[in-house]
Amino acid sequence: MVLTLMINGDPVPYHGDPRRSLLEVLRDDLHLTGAKDVCGEGFCGACIVQIDGVPKVSCLLPVGRLAGAEITTIEGVSNSETLTAVQKAFLEYDVVQCGMCFPGMVLSMTHFMAENPSPTRAELKSAMTGNICRCTGYERIIDALLSLGSNGLGPVEEVRP
Amino acid sequence: MTLPYPPNTAVMNLPRRDAKDKLLGRTRYTVDESSHGMLHAAARRSETASGRIVKIDVTPALSMPGVKAIATREDAPGLHGIGIADHPLFAKDVVRYHGEPLAVVAATTLAQARAAAAAILVEIDPIAPILTMAEALAKDAPLIHPDWASYEILREGAARGGNIAWEATVVRGDTDAAFARDDVILVEGTYRVGRQSHVPFEPRAVVAAYEDGRFHIHTSTQVPWTVRHVTAKILGVPEAAVHVTVPAVGGGFGLKFDCSLEPFAAILARKTGRKVSLVNSRREEQMTCLSRENADILIRSAVTPEGDIVGREATVLMDCGAYGGEQVFLTTMTAHTLGGNYRLGSVKIASQAVYTNTPPNGAFRACNGVYNTFALECHTDEICKAIGMDPVAFRRRNVVGDGDIGATGQVFEGDVLGPMLDLAIDTYGPHERAKKGPDGRLYGRATTVGTWFIFVGPSSATVNLNVDGSATLVTSGVEIGSGTMVQSLPQIVAANLGIHPDAVIVKTADTDASGRDLGVGGGRTTVSIGAASQEACAEVRSKLLAVASQMLQTPQDDLVLAQGRVEIRDRPGSGTTIQTVIAQAELEHGPISGSGAFTAPGIPAMPGCAAGHFIDAIDIPVFAVHDCDVAVDPDTGKVEVLAYRVIQDVGRALNPRAIHGQIQGGVTQGIGYALHEEITINAEGAFDQTGFSSYRIPTALDTLPIDYHLYEGAPSCGPLGTKGAGEVPILNVGATIACAVANAIGTPVNALPLTAPRVLGLIDGLSSGVDLAHLSRHWHENTIAFSE
Ligand code: FES
Ligand code: FES
Repeated sequence: MVLTLMINGDPVPYHGDPRRSLLEVLRDDLHLTGAKDVCGEGFCGACIVQIDGVPKVSCLLPVGRLAGAEITTIEGVSNSETLTAVQKAFLEYDVVQCGMCFPGMVLSMTHFMAENPSPTRAELKSAMTGNICRCTGYERIIDALLSLGSNGLGPVEEVRP
Repeated sequence: MTLPYPPNTAVMNLPRRDAKDKLLGRTRYTVDESSHGMLHAAARRSETASGRIVKIDVTPALSMPGVKAIATREDAPGLHGIGIADHPLFAKDVVRYHGEPLAVVAATTLAQARAAAAAILVEIDPIAPILTMAEALAKDAPLIHPDWASYEILREGAARGGNIAWEATVVRGDTDAAFARDDVILVEGTYRVGRQSHVPFEPRAVVAAYEDGRFHIHTSTQVPWTVRHVTAKILGVPEAAVHVTVPAVGGGFGLKFDCSLEPFAAILARKTGRKVSLVNSRREEQMTCLSRENADILIRSAVTPEGDIVGREATVLMDCGAYGGEQVFLTTMTAHTLGGNYRLGSVKIASQAVYTNTPPNGAFRACNGVYNTFALECHTDEICKAIGMDPVAFRRRNVVGDGDIGATGQVFEGDVLGPMLDLAIDTYGPHERAKKGPDGRLYGRATTVGTWFIFVGPSSATVNLNVDGSATLVTSGVEIGSGTMVQSLPQIVAANLGIHPDAVIVKTADTDASGRDLGVGGGRTTVSIGAASQEACAEVRSKLLAVASQMLQTPQDDLVLAQGRVEIRDRPGSGTTIQTVIAQAELEHGPISGSGAFTAPGIPAMPGCAAGHFIDAIDIPVFAVHDCDVAVDPDTGKVEVLAYRVIQDVGRALNPRAIHGQIQGGVTQGIGYALHEEITINAEGAFDQTGFSSYRIPTALDTLPIDYHLYEGAPSCGPLGTKGAGEVPILNVGATIACAVANAIGTPVNALPLTAPRVLGLIDGLSSGVDLAHLSRHWHENTIAFSE
């Protein structure tokens, strides 16, 4: 089967089994290794990419269904000169540890913040359940996101003397 | 030691230099390695927990498409291990656990390698597996290692025998006399915990090459020098023939504190002459996880009505699985964890690693400290109930302080736990009575104490001062996510040399470039590599200042290094840039570098107390006080943690924000352990939990913002008085939640995790408890060394 995938704005021809997962094609064929293969069963969110702007787990997504869709991977979200607000907040709040969950975390939370510019802590926590992190214990990531919120909370005081 | 610089110059919330690439998805972990012509490997593993190998025939697999090489037991005859060499790389004549490797295949694609691995003909004559420690210790139990007596001993001094891989004992004072006193109350507790799986997001993974007669192993490990040593031992090649490099590691938590997949890939690389990548699938990673071990614990104490612990006897059975591994070492820690926290008039402790036909266990953040603290603190609350004493007052009375002796007779320095407990109660208020809330839920609180240690030992560091005024730090440290390599170490080097941490280049681990190191784990990196780095900096400073002294016509003692300049003390602007001094040094002597080393100072224990221990006394104890409030729904058994507070002994906090990250993350892992991370072993000897859908690690909804206080000033031989801060946050979480649940429901807790059904069983009085019939109440009968 031959199809054209639109990945980060570039047309990429694909010849192969349409049942292969997008994650496998991204990582193994295209060497776009930002999306991580962690659980392989749609649970952890480390493989998330955006399909037409909506976060989706790429490990369960057969490439055959993606002709014509806009696929944005972490590599296509920004470059080091133009970090997104979410990436900047994560950087500023020093929330990254091993880093494996963050490509997915950035893609889901960027989308969530765009849809919900003034989330509460509880809303953020619910939204984050699709992105599992084994290192950080989440709350500092949530602090970072709350600092972006336009709900009047402003930056959260996170460092104590 | 007096520091040549103000210690506060090393303290800052330096951001991580590796965060940006991690956020951009650019960081290349071992699992992201790929190159043209690289082969992919897959393992064939046993699906039988115990049996005699009749046949392993690789012939049909060898001729399958893409297959380049297959390695089997013939390729790796040697045995390795910790303490005892009991572990072959591939199952030899028998298989001892479900998931044991039988062969590995290298092929052009991963799919081809997997297909060929599945096509290998394997015939195994099953033997009834021994799946529990109770079965393994039964009188007529078959031996899992019939040849145990002939294994090479790598460390002398332990009693071993039958299915007991290793025994460590402590005997100090006369517990028999203490238990026989007529004024004491005897309290007995039995506890059981299951395994905990690390679930690092990057599974164990390696890329190996064989170049110019040497192995290049690029791997996701915490211990490059252990990988070098074990790979060489298994392959029967000189250690110098193994070169290990480590990129960013996607999570370790102790799982990667041992050699794992590396020798398989090395053998295949040598056979094929190609680069070979071997990565555990998530299922393999889960099914062969070197988990935090399951354990059975019996504690008996003799306590006076005033609350003195005059005698304590304990036996801890640690399931090491089919091979001894890390549990052999960890038997040591029981003396310092279960035997820790409190002053004991007399004490006997037996800690045994027991073989079963289950996947081998390993090291996991604060290792057996986590469940020994759980058992000890639950037991402590039961003592308080028995003698009618307030649990905080009892702890305040008994925690070890300055000049007190520990289980093995080591003398503790400084009052640490006592003031930390006071601080907890001052800050969080006194305990109220447990009560039923208007919502029908049962509310409880607990405050616990815990003792862990910094696993010191050898480290080395080299610092090269570059002409541009930057410095390169060369060590075998690995960045596993905790931030040590990108935060505390450059902070220490920068403070020593009077430069900005951004001007400190940190070389990634490379055994060809750096000296030996014990590895990243046990909270040791900041302490051990930090101390070695500081010593290397001292040499650099003295070389630099000798030249500057000539240039500035000022005695060295009057020179200070700050902001990239050498200045005459108290006369800012009087000196010159360090680049100028480096240039002058090059003309006179050549480039400036320094090297430093560190090893355990070796705090003494009381002679004759401890047997079979790898460490008789702990060089740097680390203390923790945890406090939490819970609510338990009596209808469902669901436990909610309402507030969680940590007071952690950090010595000195070099990067408080990074330590907060470790506390938030470590406590969250502990909440998983306390409440819902559960591994069950089925009749086939395999874990029921094969991935994320069945092994439930905490999501954002399972945790809460952790309140914390960094307690500074306790003695430490670490640089600037630091102690490692990344490992210990998980230490008392199981204990504190269990004690708070027991307080809420009014029933002792004796097992983890506290899943809703288990809690419901406790509330309804249905759970049968943990009777541990395989353990004798006569302590000596549980031992090899002391049983007549
Ligand atoms: S790898 Fe796709 S959700 Fe975990
Ligand atoms: S930072 Fe390690 S999994 Fe999230």
